[in-house]
Amino acid sequence: MPLDRKIAYIDLTTGDIQTKPIPLDVRKKFLGGRGLDAYLLYNHTEKGCDPLGPKNTLMVSGGILTATCASATARTHIMAKSPLTGLLGSANMGGFFAPEMAWAGFHHLVIKGKAKHPVYIYIHNGEVEIRDARDIWGKSVTDSQWAIREDLGDQEVKSLVCGPAGENLVRFANVMTGIKNSGGRSGMGCVLGSKNLKAVAVRGTMDIKIARPKEALEYNKRFIDQIVSAKVNQTQGALGTPFIWGATNSWGGVRCRNFQYNQCEYADDIEPERIDEICEETMGKYHMTGCFGCQVHCRAQYKIPSGPYAGTYDEGPEYTSQGAFGGETDTPRAITVLTGNHLVNKFGMDNLETGSLISWAMELYELGIITSKETDGIDLKFGNDDAVIEMIDRICFRKGWLGDTLADGGIAASEKIGKNSFNYLIQVKGMSNLHSDERATPALALNIATGSRGSDHLRSRPAIDLYHLPEEVLRKIYSNPVPYDGPLSSEHTEYIGKPWQVFWQENCYMGVDCLGICKYHTTFLGATLPNFEDWSKVLYYNTGLEMNPEEIWDVAVRCNMIERLFNLREGLAREDLKKGDMLNHRYFDEPCRRGAIDVVGRKIDKKKFIQMIDEFYEHKGLDNNGIPKPETLKKLGLKNEPSHLV
Amino acid sequence: MTIEKEGLSTAESLRKTRTHGKFRCHNPTCMERIQPEKGKKTAKCPTCGMEYRVHWVNPQLPRIRGPVWEVNRKLAETKLKEMGVK
Repeated sequence: MPLDRKIAYIDLTTGDIQTKPIPLDVRKKFLGGRGLDAYLLYNHTEKGCDPLGPKNTLMVSGGILTATCASATARTHIMAKSPLTGLLGSANMGGFFAPEMAWAGFHHLVIKGKAKHPVYIYIHNGEVEIRDARDIWGKSVTDSQWAIREDLGDQEVKSLVCGPAGENLVRFANVMTGIKNSGGRSGMGCVLGSKNLKAVAVRGTMDIKIARPKEALEYNKRFIDQIVSAKVNQTQGALGTPFIWGATNSWGGVRCRNFQYNQCEYADDIEPERIDEICEETMGKYHMTGCFGCQVHCRAQYKIPSGPYAGTYDEGPEYTSQGAFGGETDTPRAITVLTGNHLVNKFGMDNLETGSLISWAMELYELGIITSKETDGIDLKFGNDDAVIEMIDRICFRKGWLGDTLADGGIAASEKIGKNSFNYLIQVKGMSNLHSDERATPALALNIATGSRGSDHLRSRPAIDLYHLPEEVLRKIYSNPVPYDGPLSSEHTEYIGKPWQVFWQENCYMGVDCLGICKYHTTFLGATLPNFEDWSKVLYYNTGLEMNPEEIWDVAVRCNMIERLFNLREGLAREDLKKGDMLNHRYFDEPCRRGAIDVVGRKIDKKKFIQMIDEFYEHKGLDNNGIPKPETLKKLGLKNEPSHLV
Repeated sequence: MTIEKEGLSTAESLRKTRTHGKFRCHNPTCMERIQPEKGKKTAKCPTCGMEYRVHWVNPQLPRIRGPVWEVNRKLAETKLKEMGVK
């Protein structure tokens, strides 16, 4: 049964390893994946601990449905206190790791301490061991995985690793698996590096008994039909996430030149159709591939067509690499995007954070806040392709003053650079924004301001708000599984009803993260994709756990609240520009300069924005300072948390 | 118990509302449905005047590739001027 998968508690300092079952009452309250990780983090991490110290606890997990007969249960979740933000660190990636870990007998790992020398953890059919990784330390993301397979003599082993960026304690280093599956944002790869933990490797052949296999398979057919018939997924399967960047750039919703513009003009060479041509030219017609159990296949394969890395194989690029190394830096050339994407994959470094910080530095250079003295003579002007590629390398290996400074993340870098550099840093809670511009979309602005791990499109973004759906359709979606009769607006430049949409999406995304399913299989980019009602059935048929949609919603609300509690314990304060639910002043002061006619000139109305936050807090059961009301904690069964702080 | 509830879920029932062969104008307060002439490389929104480059996925399926850049910039600069934004 999926419910018999265990937790392993691993202490890297002492070498102590314990495995324990997951109690059913804990399952019912937190399900698994990100939700249960949040509960474990809150209980196993001391207030104020050094994110790079041995007391920071690292969680690795699959969802409760991982490797069952449900579709797309490929997601691996990683959580710890973030070395980038000092708040909640959380990363989620596709690939094949989590299912293999479930077949090896585990859904959750809780990793503490620091090893004396580089090690990796190997988990196989119920057994956990700590192995020497001194020969693997220093290798790239893919080379590390090959070396582990070699070491174990098993080509089927799946690993999650930190690359050179994690080893060098770049504070936004990723955890990676495969070529490009990235547990990005918030620096979880840096936490691995700080523990001398190069990798976690898994191999399993233990059966997972499905509660009602016939019904599970029958229902999965229906589920798959929903997935593959969605237009958004058909497009994803043809072009991958670059299509999102292309469409968003078309109407003026991307960041360009570090927020100076909201559209990258003449971007034809990095539009999805052009990227697709390159993939086809270098890898053939069938160049799209996918993660475990997924029908969407949104991951492109390519070889770099020219330049110093010509012929090198990689996967992607995603929206974020187009934004990071094309739009933001005003280098809209495919070769730069594909090369930049390759380097961050090889190094295990967050593309989004890297591109954001380079473009921020470019604006500072343009303004004279930093000069060629700080850049070691690099001409860091917007549009300089070579400078972009050089800075990726410098950040990963902490080369030069600027490379080393940026490797510590935006807020730390702004404190070191001084002057008024912080004013130009586009971040929330210390994490850079996605390469999207939310000045024309108040709901999306609210989403990034209140995201639990910082500015984030994957925690509560009501992306379907952009589709101009009729109000009755919106109401149909947003009134399930809990009734909502407040205002809603089809107009995505409006402020009405948006707090509810963000609250609903926050719970939807938490739900899917607890189950271990990919967000492309829920109400993220498509209005017709499965959510609470559908999950209730999938959960029952696969695990035997009877939970109605409202109960799954309650789990999601609870798990989001425990993330909030963790952040509050670590210093979150509502209007703190570095640790709060607040946006950079440029959202309120500088109008959009490009894009569709009705986007031009738009900016966020601060008064209405603050009202939206008030309303959002009310939906969540928080007071005006963003702190949970006692009755909210009681209702969610969190009054006594942390209940067993270790 | 919800498991016993039969019929279509909310998400499933919404699938019936789709259209094919057209795209919506990317101007957010317009969102007019545009049906481009078959094979044409650009299309203009009859309502708001935005002009788009068209990518044909297949002869029946058009998609917006992006705006016609020159038209796009001209419209934006005119609007900024009207608003007094420098």
